[in-house]
Amino acid sequence: MKTAIYNISWVLRISYSVLFVFLNFYTVSGQENGTMEDAKIALSFNEEADSKIIIATATNFNNDPIEDLELYFYVKRTFSNLPIGDIFNVTDETGTVKIEFPNDLPGDSEGNVTILVKIIDSDLYNDQTIETIKKWGVPSPSPDQLDEKRSLWAAAANAPIPLILIISALIFSIWFIIFYIIYTLFKISKIEIIKSKPY
Amino acid sequence: MNTKIEHNQEFNDRREKDLLRHILKTSWRYKLWIAFLILVILIGMYGYYRQLKYGLVVTAMRDYTSWGIYISNFVFFVAISLVGSLFSSILKLNKNEWSKPLTRISEIIAVSAIICAIVIIIVDMGRPDRFFYVIRYLRIQSPIIWDVIIISTYLVISLILLYISLLPDLALCRDRLKAIPNWKKKLYRVLAINWQNDPRQVTMLQKVTKILAISVLPVAFAIHTVTSWLFATTWRPGWDSTNLGPYFVSGAFMAGAAAIIIAMYFIRKSINLKAYITEAHFDKMGKLLVLLSLVYLYFNINEYLGPAFKMVGVEGEHITELFVGNYAPMYWFVQLGGLVFPIVLLLFKGMRRSLPIFIISIFIILGAWFKRFLIVIPSLQHPYLPIQGVDESYLHYNPTWEEWTITFASFAWFLLIITVLIKLFPVIPIQKHEHLSKRHPILNF
Amino acid sequence: MEDNNPRSDSRRKFLKKLSTGSVLAATGLAFNPLSSCKDKSTKKTTLLTPDGKLVQVPNSEIEAMEHLYHGAPPEEARKGIPGKKFVMVVDLSKCKNARKCIQACDKHHNLTPDRPYIKVLEMKDNEGSSPYWLPKKCFQCDNPPCVKVCPVGATFKRSDGIVLIDNERCIGCRFCMAACPYSARVFNWGNPPEGKLNLPYSPETSLPSKQGTVAKCDFCPDMLRQDKLPHCVTSCPNGVIYFGNELEDAVTNGEETVRLSTLLRDKAGYRYMEELGTKPRVYYLPPVDRLFPFEKENSENSAS
Repeated sequence: MKTAIYNISWVLRISYSVLFVFLNFYTVSGQENGTMEDAKIALSFNEEADSKIIIATATNFNNDPIEDLELYFYVKRTFSNLPIGDIFNVTDETGTVKIEFPNDLPGDSEGNVTILVKIIDSDLYNDQTIETIKKWGVPSPSPDQLDEKRSLWAAAANAPIPLILIISALIFSIWFIIFYIIYTLFKISKIEIIKSKPY
Repeated sequence: MNTKIEHNQEFNDRREKDLLRHILKTSWRYKLWIAFLILVILIGMYGYYRQLKYGLVVTAMRDYTSWGIYISNFVFFVAISLVGSLFSSILKLNKNEWSKPLTRISEIIAVSAIICAIVIIIVDMGRPDRFFYVIRYLRIQSPIIWDVIIISTYLVISLILLYISLLPDLALCRDRLKAIPNWKKKLYRVLAINWQNDPRQVTMLQKVTKILAISVLPVAFAIHTVTSWLFATTWRPGWDSTNLGPYFVSGAFMAGAAAIIIAMYFIRKSINLKAYITEAHFDKMGKLLVLLSLVYLYFNINEYLGPAFKMVGVEGEHITELFVGNYAPMYWFVQLGGLVFPIVLLLFKGMRRSLPIFIISIFIILGAWFKRFLIVIPSLQHPYLPIQGVDESYLHYNPTWEEWTITFASFAWFLLIITVLIKLFPVIPIQKHEHLSKRHPILNF
Repeated sequence: MEDNNPRSDSRRKFLKKLSTGSVLAATGLAFNPLSSCKDKSTKKTTLLTPDGKLVQVPNSEIEAMEHLYHGAPPEEARKGIPGKKFVMVVDLSKCKNARKCIQACDKHHNLTPDRPYIKVLEMKDNEGSSPYWLPKKCFQCDNPPCVKVCPVGATFKRSDGIVLIDNERCIGCRFCMAACPYSARVFNWGNPPEGKLNLPYSPETSLPSKQGTVAKCDFCPDMLRQDKLPHCVTSCPNGVIYFGNELEDAVTNGEETVRLSTLLRDKAGYRYMEELGTKPRVYYLPPVDRLFPFEKENSENSAS
């Protein structure tokens, strides 16, 4: 039963991917026919006191502005790309779209962020990605700031100093007494008896 | 043949004779008792062999009830071991004359119990082969490490305590006992380390005894308080309590006193010491037991009243389970049969005679053991998040035969150590040092 | 689910390569562990499933490729991945107890179904409120009670926030299990099922399992080292689990990526039993406006 379900899903997936390949071949070959073209995207960054603006201007190969082109803006993160800007960011009649870069977004330890601007699934233009690194992020703590502090949950080497002191003092005092007693017993054993008196 | 040996033996006075006689004479009952204990230990060792081979899966412990009767048994033995300090320190410092004959019994029980506690905690480990990682990778932040430190310290202190009070008697054994095998002669000679009752030696020994009597007390309190922290440092219902330390310590003194009474009863019978362990001793012990039980009762009330009054979340579930749920029969047996009834009964003089108080003490000891069961197991069965989607066996805890045999073997091991020590050494201090030191009225004992 | 941005991204790159004539890339990509492009090759391999059946699987779908990277050895595994603080957000309004996270977790950690790392618990806060499903993993607390009590440092907190267990050091005292208020830990009571692969031990996968030691959910650090999401996140059909790096203020469930701070603020994110002060690294979004009705049995969990 389980395998049957799996098989069906395989068939679906494979047919889906074949279709996908086919369609993409079609679009790719379409480009050669001239129906698809590359858009040129110029990025400029406008930084003011309290706002950081990304301005993207899209032009076609004639350097005419492209209107109504949807652009996607992302900031690169470990596992995926974080969208920034509005839900839809569409160029106006001058081919420009402005989005605000969030002020409080963390970057790497120096504050660098990788900004991606993409054209995805456009009817007229090829997909493309522009990658820029800007020092616009909030610097994230450097590795040494992440080092563990002395705490109860830290490794043995990072035990809290008061704890070490208290326990050492207790161990020392009680074992000092124990060793003193053992030493006294040793002295008792070494006392020379002149005359073993009966008792 | 034994009688012949006894005839060859000479004693200076009657006291020496009475108290050294059992070392010479080995009865068939003693042999049978030893054989029985060894048999129980062997069965337990077979259970442990199976546990080593198949892992802790042979126990009934599972992911929710992750601690079982091994841990409750460990707490029980730690509790029993506290009694050594009760006699060697508290009663001694209070200059109680009557308790002196019982001091050595209490010290022997303490040594034996602490050894068993160490053994049983190793049995509980999933990886006993890594026992020495506790030293190699020691993390001072862990309450287990505190417990390891304090238990090893207490073991050493208990051994010294036993040894120091035994030293003059060891010399006596060395000097008086002639009709004994050579290995015993050698044992006494080595252990008596040139003790000759020299006044200088006596002075030094008394000084040491004083130091020890004072220093054993904080260690004894610490050992059981730290053991209670194994529980109190977690969020489990019934454990998450600031009351746990004194609750454990007071329970330990009560259980220890009951253990002494049981030991007194058997020792008196088996080695015929009626003249030394008298009915008056049982009467005194009975009064002491009432006092210790009342203290424990007080902490018991503190432990349960707050949560039972508030009935917060899982604490409430836990209380319900104990008071009227699955554990109610055990709970009420422990609280009534092992605590309330003994207090009431021991108020009557007739109940403080040897036989009734012996039976009452057995109930107290049983109650003390099951009390530790109730402290450890039901708490684990009431986690904050509901227990779902696990095998049925994870929901209950009924110890397997391997667990029971290992537990019984630990009792047998406990009794074996006591028996052997009593057989080897005078169980009642023979030599008395009543003179000396008028300088310090309080510490003069 | 397969059409999230990074994936379709790589697909497009791939197609461009294809257009320039490098047809060979097709087979190459199927074995490239960095690519999620799964749907090209039709070659199949016959494999033996754990329950003893022979199945044919397309080469491109063999996920075991991920295990080529097995996780760091014990000493290195203590350090953590630099510059990361992993965080998880579980959206209770989306969970319908499909139990795919449990299955994926069991498979990749080689667990038997009777003692999984992840549990999906049926919760009901009070008599008046309606029941909901609560997927529960290890909360990887920042003030971890389990790490505090460990006598040998067998369980430890890494700089990236993950609490791991070194099964080669664990002495099996089970104090951590008693200390964990969330019952996140399981114990290898008996002989654990041995892994198919004869790999060196790594705390990052806790494989091969060791008898007599503790184990728990570990956020799959072997995956995280490759910048891949944990198995429970990728296997969830409903996008319940968000995962990310707190220092980057972003979490993703594989489909959408959102800012962690925005998500927690807008959807009233909370941590389970905040009052214990354990500071979990797993947040929950309350089970409001739920996508699915509460059903004990549904098509996804009853079939398996």
